[in-house]
Amino acid sequence: MKKSILSSVFLFAASILAVDAGAQVIVIANASVKATGVSKDDLKDVFTGNATTLKDGSKVVPVLLKDGPANEEFLKAYVGKGDTAYRAGWRSLVFSGQASMPKSLDDDAAAVAFVAHTPGTIGYIDKASPHEGVKVLDVH
Amino acid sequence: MKKILAGAIALALGAGAHGFAQSLEDLNIQIHGYATQGFLYTTDNNILTTHSSDGSPAWTEAVLNIGAQPIPKLRIAVQGRFFVLGNFGNSITLDWAAADYKADDRFGVRFGKVKTPSGLFNDIQDIDPSYIWSLLPQSIYPISSRNSILAHYGGVAYGTLSEGGKLGKLEYRGWGGERQIGGGDGYLLEQTEEGVLAPNGIGGATYGAALHWRTPLSGLMIGASDGRDPMWSSKLTTGNGALTGNEFLAPFNEPNYFALYEKNKVMVAAEYGRLPVSVTLQFNGLPPSYERIDYRNWYAMASYKLTSKLTAGVYDSQQVDHQAPLGPARYSKDWTFSGRYDFSQYLYAKAEEHIIDGTAIGYDTDLNPNGLKPNTKLTILKVGVSF
Repeated sequence: MKKSILSSVFLFAASILAVDAGAQVIVIANASVKATGVSKDDLKDVFTGNATTLKDGSKVVPVLLKDGPANEEFLKAYVGKGDTAYRAGWRSLVFSGQASMPKSLDDDAAAVAFVAHTPGTIGYIDKASPHEGVKVLDVH
Repeated sequence: MKKILAGAIALALGAGAHGFAQSLEDLNIQIHGYATQGFLYTTDNNILTTHSSDGSPAWTEAVLNIGAQPIPKLRIAVQGRFFVLGNFGNSITLDWAAADYKADDRFGVRFGKVKTPSGLFNDIQDIDPSYIWSLLPQSIYPISSRNSILAHYGGVAYGTLSEGGKLGKLEYRGWGGERQIGGGDGYLLEQTEEGVLAPNGIGGATYGAALHWRTPLSGLMIGASDGRDPMWSSKLTTGNGALTGNEFLAPFNEPNYFALYEKNKVMVAAEYGRLPVSVTLQFNGLPPSYERIDYRNWYAMASYKLTSKLTAGVYDSQQVDHQAPLGPARYSKDWTFSGRYDFSQYLYAKAEEHIIDGTAIGYDTDLNPNGLKPNTKLTILKVGVSF
């Protein structure tokens, strides 16, 4: 009995940690981006329009997915917002003249193709999606 | 300052001409917009120059934004607005038109007609899709004067002084130029209804600075701004033009102190501001008359995302004019309860209830000819689309 309770608690904790870590999403970048990794703070700043440069000096341009589970998971894990609130934040920047809306792509394949061919871009896709031609950044 | 605007437009046109040589994709041309329709109902008094005690749909806004980014460091954009709220607006105006050059995260500059980045929400106070509230706290962000305090002709420099780490990030904004309060603005409503007209509005030079400290505590930002407005003046007429004269505003500062905590589903914010102004009315052949106002304004607000589509919030917004005689006209205390439902990322609806004590904000005499009652409940329903 004790064992089954313990394993249930362990499984529950493991499932929470898995979601928090954003384990099903990977961050991709064009080969021109010097960085091999990115901090969670940098990622949040870049994807909320608060920064255009990573700590190592790499200048980056964020690319979004229009919708889907990878989009929801990335925003939840690294930005701390749902899709609607996230896009409302970008609209604030656009309508106040502070930024242009990042490009939104239809799916993972389109995101990979765009990032692979556009210098400086950084995006995210499902971990299981093919991602030849782009580099995968380690998130720490 | 209109020359600056003309310069910005010329730049935009230049970029447009340049665009013939490039594909639209290369120019990164974007078109965005939003539109809202509001409905107001008050239990007592008519508010915001509407017939709200009968229920009024006289609140419509539509905004169109066109921008281009011909090179990574340069953006050019223009935004126009149709705005009507009761007797305010009912016209298409230029929100802003600016060229923005961002060298890097440490320094950028935009010029033309630009949003004034004072306070916590000033530069986004007219962007309805970006927040839960139907009306932002009126003590600091009065909708009747929105178009006048939102933007100025001139420039803004901005950037980040420190790149994070243990002490967080420090962001700065500095601005300067000329501001013009239109003749139909809410600030001038009372004197307009008394028959003293400033057909060209009132305005003059303006400058200021703001600091935002993104603290090491994730989600917490603390900031302050101060705007300085040197002597402003305008031409006045009264008695159907029988008397002419001038209005002068002595130099004044507009300090604001604010904090914002935003993390996951929670948003908490507070702001304090002061607006001390000395006004002199000088009609030709008559002795001058003086008036001094000293608004002390603050609000505290919180919202919580109940579901991915539904957000609820509450704020308390207060204004007291320390120069006004005692009584309900000296102050306004507004408890507000708000809800927003996002049907999709393009369509949303809002509902809001204001419990207002005091008559210092939002009322005019023409639509309340029998005087004002000290307390009012205001219900607002609003629907909006954005793209």
